[in-house]
Amino acid sequence: MATFKENKNVSDRSASDRQRHKDKIEKAIKDGIHNIVSEESIIGQDGNKKIKIPVKGIKEYRFVYGENENRKNVGSAPGHDIARGQKIGSKGDQGKSKNPNKAGKDPGEEYYEVEITLNELAEYLFEDLNLPNLQRKKFKQISTKTFKRSGYREKGIRPRLDKKETIKKKIRRKKKALKNGAIEEDDRFSFHNDDLKFRHIKEKKKKTSNAVVFFIMDISGSMTKDKKFLARSFFFLLYQFIRSKYENTEHNFIAHTSTAKEVNEDEFFNKGSTGGTLVSSGLDKCLEVIETRYHPSSWNIYVFQCSDGDNWPEDNDSALESATRLIDLSQFYGYCEIDPNDRGKRGWINVSQLSDLFGKLTSNAFKVAEIRKKDDIWLAFQRFFGGFQ
Amino acid sequence: MSDWTVKDLEKYDEEIIKLAKKNNLDWFPISYEICDYYAMIGNMSYHGMPLHYRHWSYGKSFERTHQMYNLGAEGLPYELIINSDPSIAYLMRENPFYLQLLIMCHCVGHSDFFKHNLTFSKTGPETIIQRFKNAKKRIDSYIEDPSIGIEKVEKILDAAHALSLHIPPNCREYTPHKKLREDLIRRVKEGDKSVKGRDPDFFPIREEIDILGFIGEMALNLEDWERDIVEIVRQESFYFMPQIRTKIMNEGWASFWHFKLMNQLDLPQKYHIPFIKSHNQVVRPHTGRINPYHLGFYLFNKIEERHGIEECFIAREVCHDESFLRQYLTKEDCFELNLFSYSLYKKDYIINEVSDQEGWKDIKNSLIKQVGSNSFPKIVVRELKKNNTLCLKHEHDGRDLELSYAEKVVDYITRLWGGLVKLETVIEEDYFEI
Repeated sequence: MATFKENKNVSDRSASDRQRHKDKIEKAIKDGIHNIVSEESIIGQDGNKKIKIPVKGIKEYRFVYGENENRKNVGSAPGHDIARGQKIGSKGDQGKSKNPNKAGKDPGEEYYEVEITLNELAEYLFEDLNLPNLQRKKFKQISTKTFKRSGYREKGIRPRLDKKETIKKKIRRKKKALKNGAIEEDDRFSFHNDDLKFRHIKEKKKKTSNAVVFFIMDISGSMTKDKKFLARSFFFLLYQFIRSKYENTEHNFIAHTSTAKEVNEDEFFNKGSTGGTLVSSGLDKCLEVIETRYHPSSWNIYVFQCSDGDNWPEDNDSALESATRLIDLSQFYGYCEIDPNDRGKRGWINVSQLSDLFGKLTSNAFKVAEIRKKDDIWLAFQRFFGGFQ
Repeated sequence: MSDWTVKDLEKYDEEIIKLAKKNNLDWFPISYEICDYYAMIGNMSYHGMPLHYRHWSYGKSFERTHQMYNLGAEGLPYELIINSDPSIAYLMRENPFYLQLLIMCHCVGHSDFFKHNLTFSKTGPETIIQRFKNAKKRIDSYIEDPSIGIEKVEKILDAAHALSLHIPPNCREYTPHKKLREDLIRRVKEGDKSVKGRDPDFFPIREEIDILGFIGEMALNLEDWERDIVEIVRQESFYFMPQIRTKIMNEGWASFWHFKLMNQLDLPQKYHIPFIKSHNQVVRPHTGRINPYHLGFYLFNKIEERHGIEECFIAREVCHDESFLRQYLTKEDCFELNLFSYSLYKKDYIINEVSDQEGWKDIKNSLIKQVGSNSFPKIVVRELKKNNTLCLKHEHDGRDLELSYAEKVVDYITRLWGGLVKLETVIEEDYFEI
């Protein structure tokens, strides 16, 4: 005889293990942040835009067989009309239709899609980052006048008449009149001058903060797709960070070869160009834009430059000079050298390392970082803003 | 609203018991727990164990099942029963009456299998609940120990879990190599010719596939609590290994019997028709894969057809999936089941063999290679070097390891071993070392 027991127990036995798992996923989000930017246009989007992040599942590794010619899978076919050599699918689409339960056994397809807003992402990214005091001071604020609603008044100008409040007042008056027996329900009851309500608006002095972020990049032939990908990830991170600190953030992309121009995000990252490399052209363009549109007295200026380090030697002096001027104008100037894997391969002699050149610059507002692979992005970022030297 | 009460279940349970006994089934008494779907997923995440130590992977398992349930992508498995005496089984409150009956019949089949299949003979169903409880207690105490804590415990558990399948599939007891060494020295001294020339200082003394056992014995720097966790994981594997090795048979046997018993119950139409529907759903083939319910159910029916019901009982006692398929899967079956084999060529899945005169044997062999303990690579301890380097070897059978995974596992082993760890294998027909 079997026994039957009604389990009314509501204890949630896996709650703590789920929390541990969640913690690990959150950590994976942080660790995998450089993968986020591969697809979407996200620089310059507003903070509430939702992005989907594929977060690699927290895998439970075991010795498993890889998928290749030698590993034969046996399965049921839906019918007899199959033949040797027939193609029945490709790796990509197989992954989607596969039973997710099996994912633990088969490598390479386990991920969670987490949807978060850019603001949340920034929170994730920057919560652990303690800015040194030096940097904190630099987020300067500018006083501006704003207007704020502040209650209602009986007098005011016509455009500020608040119809809803006015009607409410009238209804209240009517109810009172009904209660007193002054009128009957069906009597006409018209608006009175005393019913009118106007929105009151107060002038307020407010500290706002504006920032403009310049991204300068060498788009000459030597900047390969890989390098641009790294640059893009890095710029994204920088942009999010700056944006999280200011109320109003603008951004500009300046692409240069031997000449420079302002471009949009898409062109910046996806269009290549042939030609030589004059770094000073990009910096001068940046100076020019600052002069015409972003006066340092009302803008916090951030300049980030990515390049693979190439420059024409003849240009070095003017590049150094322009860089010095930029540092003076900006809150922060970060130079990042992207060099995925071809260090040592650079053969032609008249190429100089910009990082060597810029190494001569000494200012707290200037930092150099190097990115060679994805994992360096976060380190470079910390180097810029984490107060490490 | 459910269409049943516990009284209804009890009433039908008596019927089921009567019928099952008449059919010569012999099982552990079953204790059913009725719970809602949320608790059901919780129980599933911990393999149905009323008490189990904690680890984030069970939280992950919960999330995944829960997500699938919400998406409706896959109904919850209809049954959850554990190999214990008495057997604990779970019934989901949301299920309709006919489904509860189907599950109860199915559970009788499982419990009969647990009790009689030889693969399970060492699993100790009378004490298993208590053993899991003890393990939980110990691991909880390490987590709560201020000098250890959850992070450290997880580190050991993560590593041990990665190796949990690397125990002898037949669950042979571990003989310490230090003891084997003494035996060897004795035999050498006695002039035993079969051990002539053997170096008693060469470890392992004999081939060892019990990686966790070997680490537990020979790792120099494991602390007592770490060693204990390794052993807890290892013991749990001994308990689950027979289930891994008999997935097709176990589900096949349970389905074979729920089908028979439900039909013998003489249910009214309103239960019988949905039962048939559910049953067909459970035992349907899965395109491109093997549904153990389908294959097992099919084969037990074929065995009954070809050799009589007694043969079914013999198979349920002496076989595991590998020997079961080897012995009973015929050419006709391969053809009738539409079995085929395929593998990945570059990025495409291409059919290798189809079940015809030439192809079926190869398919049968490939199938045998993907069931039970054949489904994961065999790793042995090859040599323990004097400098404390642990050399492992993958016994290559044509199938290459997934390197990205293997590297991580070697890292895990290093964590436990506390010294250098090497793994030899073959990748694309060349010797390869991690």
